[in-house]
Amino acid sequence: MEAMTSLPLMTLMQLLFDTLLGFALLWLGWRALASPDLFQAIVLFIAFGLLMAIVWVRLDAPDVALAEAAIGAGLTGALLLTTLARLEAKNRSKSALEKKHKVWLMTENVKLKTASFLWLMVILMLLVSGLVYAVLTLQEQTFELQMLVSKNLESSGVSNPVTAVLLNFRGYDTLLEMSVLLLALLGVWSFGGIPKPHESLPGPVLNMLSRLLIPLLIIVAGYFLWVGSDAPGGAFQGGSVLGAAGVLLLLVGWRLCIRFVGLPLRIILVFGLGVFVSAAVVLIFLGRQFMEYPPSVAGALILLIEAAATLSIGITLAALFLVGRPEFRRHK
Amino acid sequence: MLSFLLPQRVKLLGLLIAAGVVAAVAALGWQVAELGAQRYAIGGWGAPLGIDLYADGLSLLMLMVNAVVCLGVSVYSTGYFNRAYFRRSRAIYFWPLWMFLWAALNALFLSSDIFNLYVTLELLGLSAVALVALAGGADALTSAMRYLLINLLGSLFYLLGVALLYHRFGSLDITILSQHIEPSPAVWVAMGLMTSGLLLKTALFPMHFWLPAAHASAPAPVSALLSALVVKASFYIFLRLWLEIFPVDSSVFGELLGVLGAIAIFWGGVQALRQTRLKMLIAYSTVAQLGYLFLAFPMASYFAWKGALFILLSHALAKTAMFMAAGNILHFGGHDRIQDFDHVVQYQPLTSAAFALAGISIMGLPPSGGFIGKWLLLEAAINSGQWWLVIIIIMGGLLAAAYIFKVIGYAFTQSRKSHQTRRVPIRMEWTALILAIAAILLGLIAPWPLAIMDIGLPFSGEAAG
Repeated sequence: MEAMTSLPLMTLMQLLFDTLLGFALLWLGWRALASPDLFQAIVLFIAFGLLMAIVWVRLDAPDVALAEAAIGAGLTGALLLTTLARLEAKNRSKSALEKKHKVWLMTENVKLKTASFLWLMVILMLLVSGLVYAVLTLQEQTFELQMLVSKNLESSGVSNPVTAVLLNFRGYDTLLEMSVLLLALLGVWSFGGIPKPHESLPGPVLNMLSRLLIPLLIIVAGYFLWVGSDAPGGAFQGGSVLGAAGVLLLLVGWRLCIRFVGLPLRIILVFGLGVFVSAAVVLIFLGRQFMEYPPSVAGALILLIEAAATLSIGITLAALFLVGRPEFRRHK
Repeated sequence: MLSFLLPQRVKLLGLLIAAGVVAAVAALGWQVAELGAQRYAIGGWGAPLGIDLYADGLSLLMLMVNAVVCLGVSVYSTGYFNRAYFRRSRAIYFWPLWMFLWAALNALFLSSDIFNLYVTLELLGLSAVALVALAGGADALTSAMRYLLINLLGSLFYLLGVALLYHRFGSLDITILSQHIEPSPAVWVAMGLMTSGLLLKTALFPMHFWLPAAHASAPAPVSALLSALVVKASFYIFLRLWLEIFPVDSSVFGELLGVLGAIAIFWGGVQALRQTRLKMLIAYSTVAQLGYLFLAFPMASYFAWKGALFILLSHALAKTAMFMAAGNILHFGGHDRIQDFDHVVQYQPLTSAAFALAGISIMGLPPSGGFIGKWLLLEAAINSGQWWLVIIIIMGGLLAAAYIFKVIGYAFTQSRKSHQTRRVPIRMEWTALILAIAAILLGLIAPWPLAIMDIGLPFSGEAAG
């Protein structure tokens, strides 16, 4: 606020930067949607995610920025690219059914263009104008809740308000969110086997890079986890970085030993959620309410839960990247 | 979650958990009945900071019907997913997904926090989509994909509304919001967004297009759940918001909802009559029955709400029974083309009885639960002098009768083609029958659920409005 009055040039620069950022975001979003080439669209989408992360930084939300960069741009991009690779591998072995489906899709598209486009535009315009009107007339927010958060921060066990809200005050939401992630993996696995595309050996660059990057990524994940209690970071960010390391490993052609694919993998996947739930339930037996952490050990408990969550999130994301359920060979 | 770890013993675990949840709901029911509405602060923080759980008569009733239906489905599924041709690799995923769905429903009916409701909605939607896709095949995948997109769109609208409300009032708790709310443009936009998102998920008439395909292509126990509970979940949220948060002075909007509901009853009924496949018929019947729920909005009186809720409960039970019966017939004859039913009554007396009894409730004949609901709605309509609603309710009943008799008629006659038939596990027939009987019984014990609705009633204060 003070800088605003003393340094008009600075604010002007910031304003310029924000405007540019906003327009770039819109343009990228539009290009990603309009691009006929799927590969191009995905690359644009990744760029969009990165810009979005910068927007979050500008909005003073570094936690969200980290998550956006890691998950929104990085992992989602990787997922989309593998999907594309698989689609193309499938298309090359063209079957009649595929062709028929494609034709059907195209006719659908044409129909949509001619008939519903106008309606869609009208509805969208209504929506946008309503939103703009609502935001413009929005009264200044009351800051009671933020005060309440900072007042209770002492007893929450951590000093980063975002982590306090996520893991303590509204821990129940986070618990459910983690089950959403697990559920997503479960859903993907339930589709059953997907034919694997031809795997090529990684080039020397990728090989070298992964050797350098993977240990680094694991350390970064650990750092995020640790620092989450008093600075931006935490389980989701750490987990997604760990997931990125996993994706890199999978890219290099590393596969999990058959022995670990069955029960051990599943145990790790549910580990985070399991620790979370059991910590909450054990507290009931200790005469407290569900998820009511005693202030003296709250910090340690949150760190424990976050560590478990980081591991599970990372492995889950990497497993998502593998798409199908890992091969499960029967013992003879 | 546990069932995910141990695929070998998944069935036993599933049933154990089912029994456990039923017991928990029963305990909660006793608590609510004795002590009135309950409020539980998770983490001990209390409303503005933490998340509260809240149970009153309305959520208790939803939880109870949820428990009954889910227990039924659990038992049914032990038979259904046992079949030789249902690939084991898929079947083992049913249980964890199904437990997630159930947990999401329970969490949803208990929550009193609009963001927490969003999370449960997301959990619910994802597990429902995965369950639809479990059927395999191109049809199921396409409709699951469409269902997923619809779900995301609905959730997104809802989330936007939540964000606006939060920014304006700085709280997410329903009770606190209801005290602070006052009409302003932001509130209106939030209301519009949340309403359209939730209605999309509830499949009210113009937004019903995704429902028949998704519900008909899913495995039978899943379609039963989707029709019976999942669409009702978003309706429940909508009702909660409508009654407690949104400014009540919106009669024009209520009229609009009523008209849409009325069209849904007609359209669903006519479409159901035109279907040639049993599951599609039942799915369109759901569209029609959902219309009744919205008839209460233009009247907005005490009896109307109770009537709509009663229809909701009895429909949940009856529709589960119907889809289960359809699943049995499908399993028995290998198809569900209504015209080719070959002496189904003779071979599967229990299933046919279940279908007929559920049909009685859907039509609204006494003494079924559906009858009580419609009767309450009729009374409310006559009281408020809205005669067009009376006509619609009666017409809807006639349409329902027409499409149900169509099925039953074919079930008695011999078809020209003969079919390879297979044995259906007896417990699959019994569960369908028991749920259908429960739908009828609901009418006989009507005073009891009606009394539960009165506990901590959100709409008692607005009996006049």
